[in-house]
Amino acid sequence: MSAGAAPQPRNKATERAQLIEAPDDFDELNRLFEERRWSDGLPIVPPTRERVTAMLGRTRRAPDSLVAAVAPAFGEASVERIAINAVMAGCKPDYLPVLIAAVEAIAAPEFNLQAIQATTNPVAVWIIISGPVAQRLKVNAGMNCLGQGSWANATIGRALRLVLQNIGGALPGEMDRATHGQPGKFSFCCAENEAESPWPPLHVEKGFAPDQNTVTVVGASGTVNMNTHAKDAGDVLRVIADTMAHGPSNDYWIGGEPWIIISPEHAHILGRDGLAKTDVRQRLWELSRMAAARMAVKDYERTQRARHDELGEIGPATLLPISPRPDLIGLVVAGGPGTHSVYVPSFGDTRSVTRAID
Amino acid sequence: MAKRGRAALAVCSTAFTGLGRAQARSLGHPELPIAVIPHPFGIRTREEVRRIAEQCVADIARLAAGSKAA
Repeated sequence: MSAGAAPQPRNKATERAQLIEAPDDFDELNRLFEERRWSDGLPIVPPTRERVTAMLGRTRRAPDSLVAAVAPAFGEASVERIAINAVMAGCKPDYLPVLIAAVEAIAAPEFNLQAIQATTNPVAVWIIISGPVAQRLKVNAGMNCLGQGSWANATIGRALRLVLQNIGGALPGEMDRATHGQPGKFSFCCAENEAESPWPPLHVEKGFAPDQNTVTVVGASGTVNMNTHAKDAGDVLRVIADTMAHGPSNDYWIGGEPWIIISPEHAHILGRDGLAKTDVRQRLWELSRMAAARMAVKDYERTQRARHDELGEIGPATLLPISPRPDLIGLVVAGGPGTHSVYVPSFGDTRSVTRAID
Repeated sequence: MAKRGRAALAVCSTAFTGLGRAQARSLGHPELPIAVIPHPFGIRTREEVRRIAEQCVADIARLAAGSKAA
């Protein structure tokens, strides 16, 4: 069997992927991918010429066109190489434009992929899909949207991880220096639950037209569940803000861009009480300010240096905002019924990026 | 920078030397000198870090001088 070789860093984007002879036997083929570290640790779908060609049929872009150079190896992610990784991850061909937009987004300088890929922090890339395409591709925005069970969520997130590893060169223990990593590094993808949101969709908020489709990428250090039966907006926001404020946080020592995934039920309370997203951000920004003394001494010292230009002299009693501005608190409605929202602390030195899907 | 006659080198702790070498290769500078210092740093006191710096500074300066000469 001929299989498209996993992309090698530093190849010219104009070069097509090499064809290699690979075993027909599924187990033997996967042993080959394991030996060459071309997988995330799970079996892969063989990226045969036929499968890659079918994948490429869903984009108007040329196979050899460059989408981005992916840090830290700065391997050149051509459309074809992205398609190969998409096949390996189990993506359906219709997912390819989403993945291309995600690769464009992670390469934006403000996302700071170089640091995200090589850090000891567990940061993963969280993909949020917004716009009509989410329903068309059946990207789960409802119950268990960050869990298992949706083909689109699972394989789009996995494919981006394979791009980060196989093209970007971030192999665990080598360029990827994560102390622990996190399960989200296998796959971390959901859609916005626009139907249950009291606010304009995320992509409209970012300046896109309602009928456009976008991918937003976030440097997410993890997920913290927040279960509250609070009955009014003030109570909901108070306990969310309490959860955000914690000492050993990248967001506080750098001034980051934390995100909250608001459940439909909590979003209903906030909308019912007349709060726009800007109001929610402002309230969370104020309520989550944290006394610098809550940090470890060394972290307090580095915060004094890192945020001096922004905040001036910082003393133990200084109330540190979690982000330099309220509008840097990310909000998206997602999930199903239940009294759970999710705090997504960020890597800190990163900003989310939104790109249109072709 | 070395091509401009200036010293160019990286300083990596032992846990990050592999990353440093791989990064240098990826950026087309496999010859970049890397001074290796002991890991970890995050848990050491300022005084301990200063002692390590004093032990390493002469070697780093020699490496820098060699880089400039090259």
